Amino acid sequence: MRPWPGIALLLLTLVGCGDETSPGEPAGFAGLGEAADDFAQASADIELRFPEDHAAHPDYRIEWWYLTANLEDERGEPLGLQWTLFRQALTPPDRRPEPSPWAADQLWMAHMAVSRGDTHRVAERFARSHSADENGQAGAVAEPFRAWIDHWQLASRIETSDESRNEDTFAELSLSARQDDEHGGFGYDLTLTAEGPLVLHGEAGFSQKSADGQGSISSGSMYYSQPFWRIEGDVTLDGETRAVSGHGWLDREWSSQLLGAEQRGWDWFSLHLESGQKLMAFQLRGGGEDGGDYRSGTWIAPDGEPTALAPDELVMTPLETQQVVGREVPLRWHLKIPGVGLELIVEAPHAERWMTTSVPYWEGEVIARNADGEPLGVGYLEMTGY
Amino acid sequence: MLTALATLLSHYRRHPGQLAMLLLGLWVAGALWSGVQAINASARDSYARAEALFTTGLDRLERRDGEPLTRADFLRLRRAGLPVSPLLEGALEAPDGSELRVIGIDPLTLPGDSAFADASSSSQGELTAFLTPPWQTRVAPDTLPTLSVNAREATGAEPRLDEGRLPPLVLTPALPPGTLVMDIAAAAALLDSEERLSRLVTAPGELERAPAGLVLTPADTLVSPGQLTESFHLNLTAMALLALVVGLFIVQAALGLALEQRLGMLRTLRALGLSGRALVGLLALELLLLGLAGAVAGIVSGVWLARVLLPDVAATLGSLYGAEVAVTLNLPWHYWFGGLGVTLGGLLLAGSGVLWRASKLSVLGLGQAQAWRAGFVRQLRGMALAGGAVTAAGLVLWAWLVRQPPGEGLLAGFGLIAALLLASALLLSPLLALALAGLGQLVRRRPLAQWAMADLQLQLPRLALAMMALLIALSANLGVSSMVGGFRLTFLDWLDQRLVADYYLRPPPERFDAVQAWLSERPEVAELLPTRHADATLLEIEGTDGARTPHLPVGLYGITPGESLMPSWPLLATQAGRDDAWQAFAAGEAAFVNEQLAIDQDLAPGDRVTLSAPGGRETLAVAAVYPDYGNTRGEVLLATPQLAERFAAAPSSIGIVLAEGADEAALRDALRQRALGSDTLVDQREVKRLSIEIFERTFTITRALSVLTLGVAALALLASLLAQARERRRQLAPLWALGVPRARLVAIQLAQLGGMSLAVGALAVPLGSVLALGLVAIINVAAFGWRLPLHVFTGDIVLTLATATAVALLAALLPAARLWRTPPRALLAEESDT
Repeated sequence: MRPWPGIALLLLTLVGCGDETSPGEPAGFAGLGEAADDFAQASADIELRFPEDHAAHPDYRIEWWYLTANLEDERGEPLGLQWTLFRQALTPPDRRPEPSPWAADQLWMAHMAVSRGDTHRVAERFARSHSADENGQAGAVAEPFRAWIDHWQLASRIETSDESRNEDTFAELSLSARQDDEHGGFGYDLTLTAEGPLVLHGEAGFSQKSADGQGSISSGSMYYSQPFWRIEGDVTLDGETRAVSGHGWLDREWSSQLLGAEQRGWDWFSLHLESGQKLMAFQLRGGGEDGGDYRSGTWIAPDGEPTALAPDELVMTPLETQQVVGREVPLRWHLKIPGVGLELIVEAPHAERWMTTSVPYWEGEVIARNADGEPLGVGYLEMTGY
Repeated sequence: MLTALATLLSHYRRHPGQLAMLLLGLWVAGALWSGVQAINASARDSYARAEALFTTGLDRLERRDGEPLTRADFLRLRRAGLPVSPLLEGALEAPDGSELRVIGIDPLTLPGDSAFADASSSSQGELTAFLTPPWQTRVAPDTLPTLSVNAREATGAEPRLDEGRLPPLVLTPALPPGTLVMDIAAAAALLDSEERLSRLVTAPGELERAPAGLVLTPADTLVSPGQLTESFHLNLTAMALLALVVGLFIVQAALGLALEQRLGMLRTLRALGLSGRALVGLLALELLLLGLAGAVAGIVSGVWLARVLLPDVAATLGSLYGAEVAVTLNLPWHYWFGGLGVTLGGLLLAGSGVLWRASKLSVLGLGQAQAWRAGFVRQLRGMALAGGAVTAAGLVLWAWLVRQPPGEGLLAGFGLIAALLLASALLLSPLLALALAGLGQLVRRRPLAQWAMADLQLQLPRLALAMMALLIALSANLGVSSMVGGFRLTFLDWLDQRLVADYYLRPPPERFDAVQAWLSERPEVAELLPTRHADATLLEIEGTDGARTPHLPVGLYGITPGESLMPSWPLLATQAGRDDAWQAFAAGEAAFVNEQLAIDQDLAPGDRVTLSAPGGRETLAVAAVYPDYGNTRGEVLLATPQLAERFAAAPSSIGIVLAEGADEAALRDALRQRALGSDTLVDQREVKRLSIEIFERTFTITRALSVLTLGVAALALLASLLAQARERRRQLAPLWALGVPRARLVAIQLAQLGGMSLAVGALAVPLGSVLALGLVAIINVAAFGWRLPLHVFTGDIVLTLATATAVALLAALLPAARLWRTPPRALLAEESDT
């Protein structure tokens, strides 16, 4: 899961009032726990439909297209990257402005990061659009799939024509993004090929986010992933371009009520295990039974068959914290799923993965090992609210 | 101590006139000074706000062909990865008829470190409110009166304009006056601009070159209003300083008199055991009390004065420099302390002589006024010496200025003028004393005349200061009016020479060529003068003394060298005569540069300049220098076709020279049918009228201040005469007793003063002319970048002399009338008092 801020963080950039969000805000991290009665609500009754659901859902408050990748260059050196497009509705559906050249009801934000060794480069972009306009500065359309902001773009490589009408344009994507900076620029040009099916989390795509999710306003999201990307292409870092290949994980999530008001942040894992299995696991700090943390996850078989993990089927324990830009961040974890006999030590080899974006968070590559220290897989860890 | 202070102050109870004069001097000096400073402070505040706005400080992109950019261009460039942000700018008419500037922005793409941070509020949810209906209008509180909105009900108000209702107001003091900032969607709706944009902006230096078809104007070529108007404010400050000095002359005169009349009292106090130090302390305290009263009154009236003058100043700055200045005062806290400090500091300076004399007071000294007069000879010597020293300093300054490149040394120029005025003032008394002594010798066979001379010599110590003030005020008045008058003549000539076409048409850029072709077929038209304009950077100058690389932004202007323009267009300097210059110009081989650029960059005909151009660099020979009054930038003039071809310049306007006996109405009708009505067609007469109006307004303040200064000087003279009137009568009484009729006595008095003032006026004439020369040759060149011929106006000189005499006679009239009415017996009675 990849909750994302919106207004709160945009505003922080624009008014330049620093990069701190107090973790104890009453409305949850970055205001994501705010009430949103006027928006469409995620629920277990909704059936996901593809390719339509690859596109934006402007009736929901927030949404994202979130890609992380664990890659290696030709010499086997590891390299990580992230590309995320966030959408935030500016108005509930019934209060949208009439379409006009600049009128907007949607805000877009995108993050990109490339990391290798101790180097971590980050960029951020913003845009507006009207939900009635599919050719704005940013957007996401289903057929053929395309999600973009300015020249950053995740798009299908399949041209739709009459002959290819039945093809899944989401299965073959290309990702390109580039940012100039004082180090010579960074970016990537990649091809993504899906080697497995889409995976629906929770109850057929409805992912509950707190223990009292059955209350009057559900806190939860529509959530599916494509964890089976094979990625190839070029990555540029500090002006130097390398050929790379590896695994990628794309998360799609939309919601109007993501967090409970008392939830402060989350820790989220996506792991590609060498056995071919995959694991998604998260915990929301606060909002669980008796005020504890709320945990959830999906155990994914090599053929893509998901097993939803209930809060009590998952143990997540931070083992060790490190100072990152003045904050104590847990970079070594103990993960245990007794139901499938899995026990992992997940560790971030590099601590310097702080996203210096308008709302800051930690996001970086991790290595999963067994109790003896033998590597079992790689993945990504995201931690917010620290 | 208190008793001693009360005793000292009791003097003013007996002589309320002196107190009034003291306070008047302080009040007038303080009022003029703080008034002008209030104007300056207010204007600077407006500039600071304008400069902090995102439209300045950002590089701009516009279309090369002058047509507006659209949202499609914005999207295309963003897709290509260029960090551009759309900006929509337009004008709306306020309910009171004044113009409001509407700026529509997209905060999401606007470069982050621009001042939107200030323009936007910091509370959460504000961004959504800014971006979504009903949107917000960010506006500075001093724009509210223009919108006819009450400050208390401002937030959330939605004032109605012709174009529609404004989004709810949100007060943002950091914005410049007259500016409404809102989301681009709201601005587009108000301005009905649909997909059109005014320009794209980007962070400075972000783009190395403009995308195809666009022109990139770096932020540093957009001169900020603060820089442009600096010289204007320096001018104002200098005038205010002059007024302050003249006012302090009154103060010094009054203080001197008050001390002299209290010498006896001071001695008594000393004899009663008050220490010298305590006495000086008490006098200083007295000064402070008076100073506070005067300064506070001065500042209050100064603010009032500024309120009255500010709309004129704002209009001037707006039309001259395009700088928006609030018409309501906006004073920072330090202004109040600054005004108080300067007035009190000046008072202390004026009173330092009095304090020094009081500290030297001998307890046993003679208790009479003669004590001071005896010192006057010594004082004259001191004044002559000081005058000599200031003259020498002025000469050094002048020698330094001569070595400076032209256009440099604005402050030194003012320094030189100040030195000139001060030296003349200091030397005035020794000169007058010498002249009186000489004249006394000449008329020694005519006892009454000789008495009059001797008597004037005796009066000189007290009149000296008033005369000095008069000299300074008269010279300044003459100098300023010569400069303004001369400028006016030159400017009007220049307008006639430059505006040769009868009409100026500004068609939309996309129709420019078609309209020009159509017009050239019309029978009414004798000649068409199309113009174009572009911006460039002056990269290199090759002169006789080597090459330089100034890297200076300049304007490029294209004119049509035809039969109408060539004979009249003024040229200041050419390489090989007018005809050759025009020939080279028309052939596209050479360019002309304006005087500002020539002075600033030390350019002369024959030099070669290299300019940045879309196709790389273009090198041109400079064939001539032309005057360009009113322009704030350096400009290079080219023939229109060459400018269009080599610099891809955007079309500007078409000058229409009418044929003999042309049917103007028919042409106007035809233009109107082609939708080229009054908003694109300007009558030459209208341009002239507007230009002259701007000119007149520019110098309204200068004139007003110089007249006010003269008024202050007249007051100084009146005050001095009134102060000594009583004492004078004692000296006249013996003459009356000797049989001189009262009418004669009065006439002598008037002649004495009138003669002396006339002499001062006569001295002011050469001094004023030198002052005018300094203004024209140094100050104007440094401040505006152009040199004017010096004009001497006989009318002004006569007026100066007449003013001097009239001021003196007016000032003398009141004491004289009193003398006329006083019975002789009273005079004698006064004499016996001594």
